[in-house]
Amino acid sequence: MNNNIIILPIIIPMITAVLLIFFNKQEKVQKYLSAVSSVINIGISVFLVHYVHTNGIISLEVGDWKAPFGIVLVADMYAILLVLTANIIVFACLLFSYKIVDYNRSKFFYYSGVMFLLTGVSGAFLTGDLFNLFVFYEVMLMSSYFLIVHGNSKPQLRETIKYILVNVISSALFVISVAFLYAVTGTLNMADLSLRVAELGSSGIIAAISIMYLIVFGLKGAIFPLFFWMPGSYQAPPAAVTALFGALLTKVGVYSITRVFTLIFLQDIAFTHTFIAWLAVLTIIFGVIGAISFSDIKQIVIYNILTGVGVILFGVSTMTESGLEGSVYYMIHDMIIKGLLFLLVGIVFSITGTTNLDKFSGLIKKYPTLGWMFFIAALALAGIPPLSGFIGKLKIVQGGFEQGEFVLAFAVLLSSLLVLYSVMKIFINGFWGEEKIPQVLETSQVKSLYVPAAFLLALSLFYGLGTEFISSYIKQAEQVLLSPDLYIEAVLKE
Amino acid sequence: MTFLHWAILFPFLFAFMVPFLYKTFRKIHTGWFVLPLPICLFIFFLQFLPGVKYKEGIVQTVKWIPSLGIDFAVYVDGLSLLFALLITGIGSLVVLYSIYYLSKEKEQLNAFYVYLLMFMGAMLGVVLTDNTIVLYTFWEITSFSSFLLIGYWHYRERSRYGALKSMLITVFGGLSMLGGFILLYIMTGTFSIRETIAQSSSIADNGLFIPALILLLLGAFTKSAQFPFYIWLPDAMEAPTPVSAYLHSATMVKAGIYLVARFTPVFAGSAEWFWIVSLFGIFTLFWGSFHAVKQTDLKAMLAFSTVSQLGMIMSLLGVGSAALLFDHFEFYSVAILAAIFHLINHATFKGSLFMVAGIVDHETGTRDIRKLGGLMSLMPITFTIGLIGAFSMAGLPPFNGFLSKEMFFTGMIRVLNMDVFQTETWGFLLPVLAWIGSIFTFIYSMIFVFKTFAGKLQLENLPKKPHEAPIGMLIPPIVLASLVVIFGFFPNLLAYSLIEPAMKSVMPSLLKDGEHFHIHISHWHGFTAEFWMTVGVVILGIFLYLTASKWKRVYDLQPKRMTLNQLYDHSLKTAGKTSNRLTSFYMTGFIRDYLVYIFAFMIMAVGATMIIKQSISFAADDAAPVGIYELILSIVMIAGSITAVLARSRLTAIIALSSVGYSLALFFVLFRAPDLALTQLVIETVSTALFLLAFYFLPELQKKDKTRRFRLVNFIISAGVGGIVTLLAISASSERTGKTIAEYFLETSYSLGGGYNVVNVILVDFRGFDTLFEITVLAIAALAVYSMIRLRTGGKDVEENGFKNE
Repeated sequence: MNNNIIILPIIIPMITAVLLIFFNKQEKVQKYLSAVSSVINIGISVFLVHYVHTNGIISLEVGDWKAPFGIVLVADMYAILLVLTANIIVFACLLFSYKIVDYNRSKFFYYSGVMFLLTGVSGAFLTGDLFNLFVFYEVMLMSSYFLIVHGNSKPQLRETIKYILVNVISSALFVISVAFLYAVTGTLNMADLSLRVAELGSSGIIAAISIMYLIVFGLKGAIFPLFFWMPGSYQAPPAAVTALFGALLTKVGVYSITRVFTLIFLQDIAFTHTFIAWLAVLTIIFGVIGAISFSDIKQIVIYNILTGVGVILFGVSTMTESGLEGSVYYMIHDMIIKGLLFLLVGIVFSITGTTNLDKFSGLIKKYPTLGWMFFIAALALAGIPPLSGFIGKLKIVQGGFEQGEFVLAFAVLLSSLLVLYSVMKIFINGFWGEEKIPQVLETSQVKSLYVPAAFLLALSLFYGLGTEFISSYIKQAEQVLLSPDLYIEAVLKE
Repeated sequence: MTFLHWAILFPFLFAFMVPFLYKTFRKIHTGWFVLPLPICLFIFFLQFLPGVKYKEGIVQTVKWIPSLGIDFAVYVDGLSLLFALLITGIGSLVVLYSIYYLSKEKEQLNAFYVYLLMFMGAMLGVVLTDNTIVLYTFWEITSFSSFLLIGYWHYRERSRYGALKSMLITVFGGLSMLGGFILLYIMTGTFSIRETIAQSSSIADNGLFIPALILLLLGAFTKSAQFPFYIWLPDAMEAPTPVSAYLHSATMVKAGIYLVARFTPVFAGSAEWFWIVSLFGIFTLFWGSFHAVKQTDLKAMLAFSTVSQLGMIMSLLGVGSAALLFDHFEFYSVAILAAIFHLINHATFKGSLFMVAGIVDHETGTRDIRKLGGLMSLMPITFTIGLIGAFSMAGLPPFNGFLSKEMFFTGMIRVLNMDVFQTETWGFLLPVLAWIGSIFTFIYSMIFVFKTFAGKLQLENLPKKPHEAPIGMLIPPIVLASLVVIFGFFPNLLAYSLIEPAMKSVMPSLLKDGEHFHIHISHWHGFTAEFWMTVGVVILGIFLYLTASKWKRVYDLQPKRMTLNQLYDHSLKTAGKTSNRLTSFYMTGFIRDYLVYIFAFMIMAVGATMIIKQSISFAADDAAPVGIYELILSIVMIAGSITAVLARSRLTAIIALSSVGYSLALFFVLFRAPDLALTQLVIETVSTALFLLAFYFLPELQKKDKTRRFRLVNFIISAGVGGIVTLLAISASSERTGKTIAEYFLETSYSLGGGYNVVNVILVDFRGFDTLFEITVLAIAALAVYSMIRLRTGGKDVEENGFKNE
């Protein structure tokens, strides 16, 4: 088979985005085109997952320029699973947007922005070239600037400027880090980098550069102490956009850290990965502290992004089979569940007109479905079995124990309790209690918003209960992370 | 999938149907549809009785996640069967009781029975599964169904409070237990409990053994409301009374007991297990009974009583675990026997007492013993049931509670003979605390029955006019009270059918194949120490009951601010406040602060790495010679940068900045890269023009900015970032590699790319893919700017002032 298919998850959303620009005044076309494109993309991703499952890693040398000289796209199991998940999230967010985004916004290229964002995200997952990764980061970031300010409300403008400033700085750091690494190794291809860094052996400059990368990707992934830009910027845009950001953007950062610290920077694990482990646990701690300190439901969920990021990175930092396997499980779960939670927050907002927990209560009587969806999502978020977060957390903690990091791993385990507390606070105070709903939207209107949320919830349930169906895929993803040779061989074959 | 699995899953499946049944048949109380299920399951489990008596347990496995070693394995042996019968048996009675207790007009019955069925299934799962992960799964489901049931009347503030409290404490325990299970897995390589037991001898010396033990016990102690975790149980009484009778006395709170019993074969024999389980148990017994006496609410009193009785069973399991160390084990294993026997007895008498409390509440409208009294004549049947239950709880003959209480004393006294784990020094604590606790147990049992049913009737204080409860509500407690009497008179009915098989599961290693424990339970053993202890309990108990008003001030000795409840409330509040203060402290909303954090971290992290890893190197061997032009350009650039920072008007700053850019372009000229120089010049010109254009519309720089102070932090940060990046650049450049991919581009630029200008070929061909997306970035930027200027939504879909991050 021709490996050209790898490029489709990047190119299709891009072409769709461009087409949508031309049909900006036909709302129907916007909706149908984006939906059809999204479904096709999911189909292709599913096929790719299946194909990689049977045939192993596939790579595409773009323009037929041989690796390591040209750019390569690499579909290993981890990347392609994340592409699939990202496409599913985008699909759900599109469905949600169809109901809630008005004509005015869609006329001003809202759907193009979403598709461009997907282009960047998929590209970042699939590329095997460090500079190309930077380019896709730019695509993704520019789309996110576009989406975050889209609507021009006061908080959006205020938060956008902070968001852009932080990201421009981190992009600058990204470029110089690429330059430094190129100076030392003379290559940009990630598989080739892996080989050359390994040849250098224990090198001080590589250690310093690896920390630079940790900072660059950590800024995107919102790890401690680089996450400060996130709570404000994610609060500003409407729910569908926050859902996209919360589910996808930070995860690209986490994916990149995972990729470079399992493929390239392996010469000094005792130093770098221990450092990551500590940062991960601190990220978790700051996440739960933030989550229990707010009575704004959107902020609560936003701070829970931090916790999720920390948990995944802790799994990566163990560099054990169980830890990495757990981090893959948890990553996909976290994307689904964060998307879901932000959509649910969006529904609550469209019912009550507020996300402030002090202003409403007793929703469950009129909106039982919403209440129970939230309840289950909250349990899944906290990693309660048999829901989706459990297996990942189990494996990550196991990896931590195996690595001898008992205190850190136990902290990861117990963070579930505070996560649970932070979201159950929403359930107890917002859904339970005397009925107090400030501004009631027509119930029938709200119900149509349930569909995308229910879709993600079903997925999360399947992910938890049907773990066996996906376990061999996850295993394959973990194997590549654990043994870089598989990746290198696939990219630099011949 | 065998029928055993379905037995666990049926309640869940049925729970899905309940809402439909509720909606379709509004006229019929939903409870009637639910009732047959626990009855059928009870009968189903009865048929295993003969099986577990003689054979090994029955195992049935369904694969769930085999690739991770997680299987839905069901294991029926004496212990799990005992629990399964309790769950389904008491469950049937509770459902029947609830039909009369909860009004079908006023209550959300669908929700109630969904939660109850979920709990029933989960609880069956806990006791029947052989896989620790599956056990944990069901364990958490019981926690959450309990949460939902406590919060059933969620419009009440106390219900929400109790629900949250129980959830936080039991989930904390659950997570700890999971940690313990993972440690066990790391030691043994299996999640199966039976396989873990088989390897128990080999893991005892492992360093993880004690942590695993402690974590597992945290799970058991939180669930079974042991000191100091018991505080959730009294608040759980906000649940409807059928729930209290079922979850919070007969079944769920015994999950911890089950866990300890189930893992006794793994951990027994270690001093830690013996002491932790025994001491926490016996202290809980004392503490719970002591506090039960001061309660004025019937259900609160029963809650503390449950805490105390659970402590008693727990301590018995701890003491009994030492039997493994002795050849004449039957002498010591009597503690295990007592634990199992009392577990059954407690379920019968406490279940009936809760139902009595519920009836009193239902018929009089209050549970406050200060308002109650004299109900004996109005509610004779309820009184009789209450009397039987309370006397059994107090340990009076001829009821079943007496038998297990005597046996409990026996077990505790025999600790004095043990001579292991330093029992000679501290062992005396156990019988002493046991005896004191029993006195208080006697007192509150008397208070429960006599303050409610004897004394003066205070009709004026009762919200409702009391009368005897409907027969349907009386049947379940009558059944339980009859069992109290029957087990009291004929205890040996249980001896070999239920108790002995359960003992065998707790201590499998003591018996060879085909052997049995010898069990004979009798009322009279002669004038033994146990007998005199009971006599002492009764005499002192009556004395203290009659003089209660004189010594009740003892309870004021513990300051209100020092209680565990205060600790819980306080820490929850403080956690919220502190974290809010902390978060608001660093989340200032100002980007300059955030940048300071970010840059400071970068300086520290990268700087420390460079020092620790000795990354700094300087090699100028292949550097080009520095000529006069380079020197001048460098000076211009530095001067430009400094001017840009210090400038007092925007215009000066822009021009200074552009001078830096133009000098850079000249550097490209010097280094013979005219195309780059041209590009740089164009960009510089355009951006300077744009800056000037944009800044034309901005207001003047404000006064206070003109008198710019010297800011030390900002200076350190900017100098640090500059220094770090420079050092990194120099070091990276010093360690340049010779073999780069650039060689390939130089070689093939013309032959394969068709162009002499390598940069161009790279941009449009070698790395054309990059360029494509860079162009895309520009397009997106254009769209963004266009829509930012034109689109006006007024922010309807965004909350303007919704969050504190200002």
